[in-house]
Amino acid sequence: MLISISDFIGRFHPVLVHLPIGILLFAVLLYFLSRREKYKAVMLATGIALFWGMWSAIASAISGFLLSKTAEYEQPLLSRHQWLGIATAAAAILAWYLHRKQVKYVQWILLVLAVLIIVTGHLGGSLTHGSDYLTKSFAASGSSATEVTQKPIPDVQQAIVYSDIIQPILQNKCYSCHGATKQKGKLRLDSPDFIIQGGKTGKTIMAGNADESELLKRIALSHENKKHMPPKEKPQLTKDEVALLHWWISNGADFKKRTAELSQPEKIKPVLAALQSGKKNEQNEETYIPEAPVEKADEVVITKLKERGVSVVPVAQGSHYLSASFVAVDTVTQADMELLNKIGKQLVWLKMPYINSAVGVFAGIGKLTALTRLSLEHSSVTDADLLQLKTLANLQYLNVAGTGVTVKGLSQLSGLTRMKQVYVYQTGISSNDFSALKKLMPSVQIDTGGYRVPVLASDTTLVKPGNQ
Amino acid sequence: MTRQEIHNKRLQQEAEKALLLQHTRRHFIKQSAMGLGALALGSLIGCGHHKTGLADTFFDPANPLAPRPPMFPGKAKAVIYIHMAGAPSQLELFSYKPELAKLDGQDCPPSLLEGKKFAFIRGVPKMLGPQAAFRQHGQSGLWLSDNLPHLSTVADELAMLHAVTTDQFNHAPAQLLMHSGSARQGRPSLGSWVTYGLGTENKNLPGFVVLTSGGNNPDAGKSVWGSGFLPSVYQGVQCRSEGDPVLFIKDPNGINRDIRKASIEAINKINQEQYEEYKDPEILSRIAQYEMAYKMQISVPEVMNIADEPAYIHEMYGTKPGEARFANNVLLARKLVEKGVRFVQLFDWGWDSHGDSAETAVDVGMINKCRSVDKPITALILDLKQRGLLEETLVIWGAEFGRTPMLENRDGKKMPFKGRDHHGEAFSMWMAGGGIKGGTSYGETDEIGYSIVNGKTEVFDIQATILNQLGFDHEKLTYEFQGRPFRLTDVSGKVITDILA
Repeated sequence: MLISISDFIGRFHPVLVHLPIGILLFAVLLYFLSRREKYKAVMLATGIALFWGMWSAIASAISGFLLSKTAEYEQPLLSRHQWLGIATAAAAILAWYLHRKQVKYVQWILLVLAVLIIVTGHLGGSLTHGSDYLTKSFAASGSSATEVTQKPIPDVQQAIVYSDIIQPILQNKCYSCHGATKQKGKLRLDSPDFIIQGGKTGKTIMAGNADESELLKRIALSHENKKHMPPKEKPQLTKDEVALLHWWISNGADFKKRTAELSQPEKIKPVLAALQSGKKNEQNEETYIPEAPVEKADEVVITKLKERGVSVVPVAQGSHYLSASFVAVDTVTQADMELLNKIGKQLVWLKMPYINSAVGVFAGIGKLTALTRLSLEHSSVTDADLLQLKTLANLQYLNVAGTGVTVKGLSQLSGLTRMKQVYVYQTGISSNDFSALKKLMPSVQIDTGGYRVPVLASDTTLVKPGNQ
Repeated sequence: MTRQEIHNKRLQQEAEKALLLQHTRRHFIKQSAMGLGALALGSLIGCGHHKTGLADTFFDPANPLAPRPPMFPGKAKAVIYIHMAGAPSQLELFSYKPELAKLDGQDCPPSLLEGKKFAFIRGVPKMLGPQAAFRQHGQSGLWLSDNLPHLSTVADELAMLHAVTTDQFNHAPAQLLMHSGSARQGRPSLGSWVTYGLGTENKNLPGFVVLTSGGNNPDAGKSVWGSGFLPSVYQGVQCRSEGDPVLFIKDPNGINRDIRKASIEAINKINQEQYEEYKDPEILSRIAQYEMAYKMQISVPEVMNIADEPAYIHEMYGTKPGEARFANNVLLARKLVEKGVRFVQLFDWGWDSHGDSAETAVDVGMINKCRSVDKPITALILDLKQRGLLEETLVIWGAEFGRTPMLENRDGKKMPFKGRDHHGEAFSMWMAGGGIKGGTSYGETDEIGYSIVNGKTEVFDIQATILNQLGFDHEKLTYEFQGRPFRLTDVSGKVITDILA
C-alpha cells in the first residue's frame, strides 16, 4: 500500500517540476529588478516568490525521488538529474533563508540557483524526451540516432544488401552510441568508410570472415560480458539480424551488391523471405504469445474457473494473455466452455489432458481463436471434433496423443498455416501415415512417437569383479 | 560530601523531575512529530523496505500453492531433477580423456597435488586411466561412454556441461550447495523456490515431490528438499517407493470419507481462529497442508500407481511395479509431471565409487549402477518427447561433485578395487528439454579432466539457468527474511546462455 502511494505521488513530478522553474526564476528576476530604485517595491514580492518557490522545489525533489524508484530511466543521466534536483531544492532553501536575513551575498546564491534550475531542467527534459531531443532539429537528414522501422522490402532479391538490409539494422541497434552524436570506443558505423575504418579495438569487420569479425564476436559474447554489444540494457539484435549481418560479412561485406548477387545458403532464405513479406520469421517465434496488446480479462470469470479447479494464470507477470489448465479437472462441461469463451481474447494456452468432455465442448474450443497451444492428449476428442478446431488460425502446437483421431481427422486442419508441432502418439495415426500427413502439412513437425528403448543383455546382467 | 553538596544535588534532581513532569504526553507527541514524519517518509521512499520477489497481487498467503505467472514466459513448466547421490565419475561417463589412459599407473605429478585438499587421497596417488570405452554419438557427435548404451541414442537431446565446479568436497555440504545454494543448512531448496514462484497447477497434488532410491536418502538428509525460511508448505513431499506412496494415506477402518472431511474441516476452523489471533503464516501453511492431505488421499494413490501402465511402457523404462527401484521413480516422475506437478526431485543413492569394495569400484559396481539408470532415463526423455511434454519439461542430471583422475589411495595405501576420490574442481552434468539446446556441449577441462580450461560453470549458474527456463530472473526471485531479501543464487549466478535453444 505504502509503495503504491509513493508511486502515485511520484507521478506528480512531471507537473510539479514546472512550478519551481517558473517561480524561482521569476524570484531571481524580481530580486535583481528590486535593486533598481524604480522597482524597489517588488522587494516584498521576492521573498514571497522565494518562499513558495522553495516549497515547490522541495515537493518536486521528493516526488521526483519517488518517481525514480518506480520507472526505468537511463541510470547515469537519472542520478545526475536527481542530485542536481536535490541541490536545487537546497539552494532554494538557502536563498530564501539568506534573503530573509538580508544577507548581502544572497545575489550569488540566486545566480547559482538560476543555473541549477536550468541545468536540472535540461537533464529532466533529456530523460523524458531523449538526450538528442533538443539538437535533433539540427541533425543531418535521417542519419540521426532515432529508430526506424524496417518496412517490407518489395523485392528482396533486387534490394541493395547494405543500404536496404544491413544499414537499417545498424541504425536501429548501433548508431545511438556509434554514430554522428556519440562515438563510443572511437567507432562509427553510420557510413561505409567508418565501418571499414573500425574503432579503438581495430577493424570492425573482416570481409569474407564473419566469425573473425569484431562486430559479430562482440554480439556473440555472453550478455554478462562487459564487451558484449549492444550493452545488455539496450535492445539486443534478434537472431535474424545476427544471421543477416553474418551472411553479409561472409559474402565479402560489399556495400553495393544486390541480394541476388550474393550466395544464399538455405539458412538465410527464410530470413530474407521474412524481410520481403514484412512478417516476423516464424521459425524464431518461440514464445507462443501474440505481440499485440490485449485488454485485461474479466476477474469474475477467472475466479469462477478457479473455483472449478481450473488453473488460470497470466502467461507472465504484466501480461494480460492467459493460460488455462484443466489437469485437476476430470470433466469439462458446457458451463466451463461458456466461461472460457468470455476470456477467449486473452486465452492463448489451453491444457485439457485426460478429460471427458460434454457435447459441444470442442465446438466451444473452436471459438477460442487466440489459442496458440492446445493440449488434448488422452481426451475424448474424435475426428469429428477436430473439424470444429478448423477456426483456430493462430494454433501452433496441438497435442492429441492417446486419442482416437486419424489421418482423416487431422487432414481437416491442414489449413492452419501457423501450425508447427502436432503430437499424434498412440492415435489412429501410425508412422505409415507419415508421408501422407507430411504432404498435407509440409511445414509441421509431426511426432508419431512410439519410441522404443531396445532390450540389451547388459540391462539385466550384473558385472562381477574380474568378469568385465 | 558536605551537607551543602547533598542539598544542592537534591535541588538539582528535583528541578530535573519538575521539568520531566511538565513534559506531558502532548509535548512528547508534538516533539516527535518531526521524527514520526521522517519515519513515515522513510517507509514511503522505500528505505529499509524491499519488495518481495513476487508481486503482491500474485502472492496470497492464504492460498500459498495457487498457480502464479512467471516473471517472463518460461520455456519450461516443470522440472525433473535426477541426482546421483554419492557422485559418479565423469571420467567413465561423459568426459572423454584419451590422454589420461596414457598416464594410467604412473605417479601423479606433484604439480597437481600442491595446495589441494582431498577427502581420502594421501601422499602421492597413481593416475587412473578411463575405465570405459568412449564413442561419439548422434549428429552432434557428443562423446558418451559404453557404460550408457541407451542414453547414447538420445545424445542429440542433451546439453552437456563439462566444467561444473563446486567448492565442497564432502557429500552432505556439496549436496546442500547444489540444491539450496548454501553448503550449510537453513536455505530453501531449488524445488521450494520453484513452487514458491509458480505455485502448483494441480491443487490435488503437491507442487514438489521427492522420490529416493538406492536404499538410502542422500547424505545431506531431508534438508536438500527442505523449505528453509520459506513457508513450510513449499517443502518437498517425499513419497515412498514401496507400499503406500504416503503413509496413512488410506482412511482407517470405520472412518468414512464424510467423517474424515468433517474432522479436517473442524481442525481447519480451529486453525483459522488461531490464525486470526496470532497472524502466523505458518498456521496458513498448516491449513493448506490439511486440505492438501485430504485431496491427496484420492489423487496420490491414483497417480502413484504404475501398475496400470501398459506393458510396453514397463519394458521401455525397465520398471517392476511393487519393487523399490530407480526405474519406478522415473516413470512416476513422468506421471506426476503429466498431472501438473511442478518439480520432481529424484535421488539415487550408491554412486560413491571409492573402490573400497566391489560395489564401489569404477569398473564393477559403478557399471551396475549405470545399468540400473541408463534405460529409465533414456525412456523418460523419449516418453516425454512423444507425449509432447519434453519441450516444457526441463530434465537435469547431475551429482554433488565428480571424481579425481587419480586412483584413490585411502590413507596412502593401495585399495582392493579401482576407485576415485571426490573431486569438486571439475565435473559433468547435463540438461535436456525445457528450452535447452540439445546436442550441445559447454565448458572444457584439461587433458586429464582435472581442471577447467574454459566455460567454468558454478553451481549458482546451474540454478540461475533452471530458474531462467521457468521464467524467473534469479536475481529477482527473492524472499524477505531476517530483514533482507534472500535469493537462491545468493550473490552469484549467471544464466548459461550457450546451452539455450
